[in-house]
Amino acid sequence: MIRHHPEKDMMLEYAAGTLPWALGLAVAAHLQLCPRCRQQHEQLNVIGGSLLQDSDCEQPDEGAFERLMKRIDRSAAESAPAEMKQSEANSRLPADPALVNLPRVIRKLVADNLPLKWQRVSPALKMTRLNTGQEQYEVAFHRIRRGGRTAEHDHRGQEVILVLHGRFSDADGVYVPGDFLVRRPGEIHRPIATEDQECLCFSVVEAPVAVTGVLGWLVNPFLSFRPG
Amino acid sequence: MALEQRTNGIKVQSEHNRDDDWSTLLLLVGSKRDRAAFERLFHHFAPLIKGFHYSRSHQAMSPEAADELVQEVMFRVWRKAPSFDARKASASTWIYTIMRNCRIDYLRRNSRHLTESDIEVDDIWDETPDSQPFAVLQQRRNERDIAEGLRNLPAEQSHVLEKAYMEGKSHSEISQELGLPLGTVKSRVRLALKKLQGALKRPE
Ligand SMILES: [Zn+2]
Repeated sequence: MIRHHPEKDMMLEYAAGTLPWALGLAVAAHLQLCPRCRQQHEQLNVIGGSLLQDSDCEQPDEGAFERLMKRIDRSAAESAPAEMKQSEANSRLPADPALVNLPRVIRKLVADNLPLKWQRVSPALKMTRLNTGQEQYEVAFHRIRRGGRTAEHDHRGQEVILVLHGRFSDADGVYVPGDFLVRRPGEIHRPIATEDQECLCFSVVEAPVAVTGVLGWLVNPFLSFRPG
Repeated sequence: MALEQRTNGIKVQSEHNRDDDWSTLLLLVGSKRDRAAFERLFHHFAPLIKGFHYSRSHQAMSPEAADELVQEVMFRVWRKAPSFDARKASASTWIYTIMRNCRIDYLRRNSRHLTESDIEVDDIWDETPDSQPFAVLQQRRNERDIAEGLRNLPAEQSHVLEKAYMEGKSHSEISQELGLPLGTVKSRVRLALKKLQGALKRPE
C-alpha cells in the first residue's frame, strides 16, 4: 500500500500549474498510481474552476470570436491521429521486467529516451539519466539489484524519489511502488533493496549540473563509471 | 435535485442550473460540433479567462498576452469538447484545467531551460477521466461546497490561493512578494485546504 504522498502544497502547485516541469512529472506519475491523490487533485482543480467562475470579466479584443472560428475552420482539415503515435511508442519499449507496469507518463518518457544506457555506479546500483525537456532538474532512473546496498549519501539539492518497481528500505522504513519521497539536503540516507527483487526508482534532483558529481547518488569517492 | 433544493435554498439551486447550462452547451459542442452553443460558451468564458489573467485586481499577464491565451484556450476547448465528461467535472473546472495547461505551454515557450522532448504538457498535466468518476450528485455537491468555502475563507488565506492559481506564483515567490516566511505561506495554504476539504468530508 502506498504510504507516502506528495505534500499538500506541492499538490496545490501542481494543480495551479506552477510546479516545475520535472517535479510535475514525478507528481503526475504518482497520481497515475494513487487514487487518493487523484481525488485530491480533482478537488484542487475545482478551486481553480471556482476562481475562474468568480473572476472579474474583461472583454476580449475586437473580433476575437471571428478570429477563433477562422482558425478552427483552417485546422478542421488537418486533425492528426495523435493516439497512433502513443501505441507506436509503447510497442518499442524494451522487454525489461522492471519497466513492465509503469505509469503512462513514465512509459512515454522511456519511449522518448530509448535506448536506455545504464551506467554502473556501484556493484549494487545502476542509473540512467532521462531527458524530459528541461535542464533545471536532473531526472533519472536508479535501479538497485536485489538485496543491494547503496552507499550512504547526502543531497546538495532537494531530491524527489518515486518507487516504480520492487521495494527498498532505509533507516525510516520500507517503500513500495507509488511511494513518493522527498529528501532534503542534509538528510543522509542509505537505500537497500529488498531481497526478493530488484528495485527501480524515478528521481528528480534539484541541482545544477555541477562540480563534483551530478547527482546526490553519485557523491561517492569510490564510484567508477563503466560503459554499458 | 429536488431534495437539494429544499435543503440548500434557491440561490444555490440557480447556480447549479447555470453550471448545468454550460455543461449542456459543452456536450453539444462535443457531440454535434454545435457552433451556436460554442459561441455562447465563448461569450461567457472568454471574458472570465481574460479577467483571470488580466484585470484590475490581477495582472499576471499583459492584456495582449491574455487575449492570445483566450484564443488558445477556446481553440482547445473546441477540439477537446468530445472528451468532456459532465460526470467528472463542471464546465468551469474542465475549462480551468485546459487554461492552466495553455498557460504552462505559454510560459515554457518563453523559458530558457527548454530542451527537445516528446513529453507534452498534457502528458504531465493529464486530466484523462478516471474509470470511476464520482457520482454526478456527489461531484456537484463537492464543486458547490468548494466554491462556497472559497468565498468564506479569511482574506489572508484566499489571497494566497489567488496568488498561486491566478498569478501563477510558487509558494516561495509568494513568500518573497508578501515578505512572509515560506513556512507561513505554506501553513496558510494548508489551513485553507483543510477548511475547503473539511467541508467535503462532512456526513451527508
Ligand atoms: Zn498519493
